[in-house]
Amino acid sequence: MAAAEVQVRDKASPLKAKSSSDDKLMRLFILVIGAYLVVALAMPLYVMLSKSVLNSDGGFVGLSNYFAYFKTPSLVYSIKNSLFVGLVTTVITVSIAFVLAYGFTRSRMPGKPIFKTIAMIPILVPSLLPGIALIYLFGRQGIINWALFGHEIYGPIGIIISEVFFTLPHALIIIITALSIADARLYEAATALRASSTRIFFTVTLPGVRYGLISAGFVVFTLAVTDFGAPKVIGGDFNVLATDIYKQVIGQQNFEMGAVVSVVLLIPAALAFFVDRLVQKKQIALLSSRAVALEPKPSRRFDNGMLAYALVVSFFILGILGMCQFAALFKFFPYNLSLGLSNYQFDLMDGGGWDSYFNSIEMASYTAVFGTLIVFYGAYLVEKGKGLGVIRGAFQFLAMLPMAVPGLVLGLAYIFFFNMPSNPLNVLYHTMAILVISTITHFYTVSHLTATTALKQMDAQFESVAASLKQPFYRTFLRVTVPVCTPAILDISIYLFVNAMTTVSAVVFLYSPHTTLASVAVLNMDDAGDIAPAAAMGMMIFYTAASVKILHYFLSRGIEAKTQAWRRSIEN
Amino acid sequence: MTDAFLRIENLTKNFGSFTALRNISLSVLEGEFVCFLGPSGCGKTTLLRAIAGLDIQTQGRVEQAGIDISILPPSERDFGIVFQSYALFPNLTVEKNVAYGLESRRAARTEVTTRVNELLSLVDLADQGKKYPSQLSGGQQQRVALARALATSPGLLLLDEPLSALDAKVRTHLRQEIKHLQRRLAVTTIMVTHDQEEALTMADRIVVMNHGIIEQIGSPEDIYAAPASEFVAQFIGTMNFVNVVVASANQGTHQGGVLEFSQNSLRPRESARLAFRPEDVEILEKSDEHNRDKVLGKVVSAEYLGAFLRVTIAPEGWESTLLADISTDIAARFVVEAGGDVAFRLPPEKILAYQESE
Repeated sequence: MAAAEVQVRDKASPLKAKSSSDDKLMRLFILVIGAYLVVALAMPLYVMLSKSVLNSDGGFVGLSNYFAYFKTPSLVYSIKNSLFVGLVTTVITVSIAFVLAYGFTRSRMPGKPIFKTIAMIPILVPSLLPGIALIYLFGRQGIINWALFGHEIYGPIGIIISEVFFTLPHALIIIITALSIADARLYEAATALRASSTRIFFTVTLPGVRYGLISAGFVVFTLAVTDFGAPKVIGGDFNVLATDIYKQVIGQQNFEMGAVVSVVLLIPAALAFFVDRLVQKKQIALLSSRAVALEPKPSRRFDNGMLAYALVVSFFILGILGMCQFAALFKFFPYNLSLGLSNYQFDLMDGGGWDSYFNSIEMASYTAVFGTLIVFYGAYLVEKGKGLGVIRGAFQFLAMLPMAVPGLVLGLAYIFFFNMPSNPLNVLYHTMAILVISTITHFYTVSHLTATTALKQMDAQFESVAASLKQPFYRTFLRVTVPVCTPAILDISIYLFVNAMTTVSAVVFLYSPHTTLASVAVLNMDDAGDIAPAAAMGMMIFYTAASVKILHYFLSRGIEAKTQAWRRSIEN
Repeated sequence: MTDAFLRIENLTKNFGSFTALRNISLSVLEGEFVCFLGPSGCGKTTLLRAIAGLDIQTQGRVEQAGIDISILPPSERDFGIVFQSYALFPNLTVEKNVAYGLESRRAARTEVTTRVNELLSLVDLADQGKKYPSQLSGGQQQRVALARALATSPGLLLLDEPLSALDAKVRTHLRQEIKHLQRRLAVTTIMVTHDQEEALTMADRIVVMNHGIIEQIGSPEDIYAAPASEFVAQFIGTMNFVNVVVASANQGTHQGGVLEFSQNSLRPRESARLAFRPEDVEILEKSDEHNRDKVLGKVVSAEYLGAFLRVTIAPEGWESTLLADISTDIAARFVVEAGGDVAFRLPPEKILAYQESE
């Protein structure tokens, strides 16, 4: 009898398992968190998309907003500008990051931990900050503006340098990961076959990291195209899609056109995201193969070359950062370069004063706490829940979606959705809560992936064993899942905190006079011409994010010493 | 068998259009040790998971201790389970792992401790309670998993390839230990395995499965001596096969001549496959003229395996070679050596006949 033969002898409907109380409870929870994603993501996006086909009175006008958009040359020109900035940044950042990552993984250069830490600094600052430093360095009165040979820093040059600074750590993380999964045996085989080192590089190294490079490219491209901070500060007359949205909404109060530009910006971001997902799947397949770790051999010339290169990159990063710090301390640039703290009197400037700073800390703390709870529990339910297959699939899709949605687009969508008089949730508008919700949603995807990865590494049979021992799922969740996943949970919380401190894009549309934020204050002070205080506030964000990160580091070590004792005890 | 502890009736499991289990019926007696044996993909683990309620069947009925549990979730069934991966909670000590199912049952703390100690000494790990699973060897971890599964005194113990991740020596040792433990506690046990040696040494009864159906149910001796189908014959132990055309009720012809066999369910002119084990090949004196079923052949190769020789023989006129296990003294007596001649006979009562599968 052929095995493929499908024989339906019994037409009776399949048996349905009786749900345990656990199953029911888990389904209830997944519906609750799923409802969160629907309200905080799907519905606002839907409302925003529909706004793009309505006129200002709410009448349906078909695609006429889009026709109007494409008939306005200044707006259409931004598409070209955005793509240009995105592509150039991608090429430069990925190249720089690849060589640096190569040095970190394949050389024996000294000081790797220090250089790695320095390279991660840009994550801790708002994307507005490099622009401010560039103004001080290369602006009209800039300290070394001769270095541009008469070119203008305001415009594409400034934007691209800022974006390279801003995107470097993201590319670096991906490429380091790709390079460090290399299989030493491949290199030994190639060497045994007497391949030259150049040939090995092109036949073994590059093919091994190609997915990492592609992935890094897409991530950088998306970040650069959707970033709003850098072009706002140093873009000058060079308009890009992100600044257009801001101008349409804040400047001209033309919400419908803002929605149209948002949709236009959504396209490259979403496209890049989906291609990246495809590529990442292949990278994961490479990862799971058993490999022997590659130990770089010492080579004086190569190691020194890599050290010199790392020094140059670090100098660039620290230079930008240091310039900002000095900009904040100069009493009156460029006429009085003595140092003082006058620029820290934020209460005398626009932007909400010191309150903004404390609001930011409050907002970031809420985001870290509630975000981690929601994200981790949501990922757990998707991963370990039974039944409701369609809903879990939809949940997974919604959890991945925020990565494809630029912050500004999300923020605008929130205005439309939460400001509707008919929406009972409009009580949230202009509150701290909406800032927290938008930030959690904006950074949902990476957190969700971190949680999912950690959960997938756990034995899939834990839940089966617990059920056979008649233990409720929440007991196993609290006694086993959470302790085992503690490192991932800590990672998610710090990721959310730092991003909440530095983000501008979504919240710029959502803050109120009572809930001004530090990052938005940087933007507004810069806008008002108070560049030095803007730099000062930007540096406050950096110091806060950095301190919390350091605190987090020691805290996690402390917690891990307690909860992860079993990890260290693994027998040789 | 009216007093079956576990009764499975007409169980079918589909994954989309693929049928993983086809109309399985089976009973397990109280206290019995049953092995589901088969190659990977035969449905044995699917059947175990249906019994546990972890992946419920598409159709059919499962009854345990007289109660219909067909659609109950795992937490409402009465079983303990041990997986190939052990699935020990890595962040809990051995004691806590074993106590995991006991604690919330409102048992007094001292009772729990007593029970945990009892179980740990049962599996010979009395002094390892404070360690974390990762500090134990694979075999020790598997014993902890066993203790944890037995802690709540379940009516049914399910073992899903429990020994597959261990190395050979530990495996043999643990086989005995599990078997003894099972006898002592008289707990009804079902073990899934793809290792026939494991099944033959441990089980009271073996359920041989292939392509989602049961090929044979029987004691290890039955399964080995009288495989019910060609698949079982091929799967269990080593077997020689000869294609024949049935000539009369108990005779088949092939290129090499006529072979007699004992079964007579086959019809004349049908193609059949005759099967016999290497140890059933009887070596004869080459000059023996009395045996009318004497077959002559050449020794192609001889492998020395300690107590016996495994000899590959090319019988005159046969289309394929056969394997014969010959004790070393017989080999010496009849001068069986590679390249030499050999004479043998196949006792008809040891030859099994199967209808040729289409």
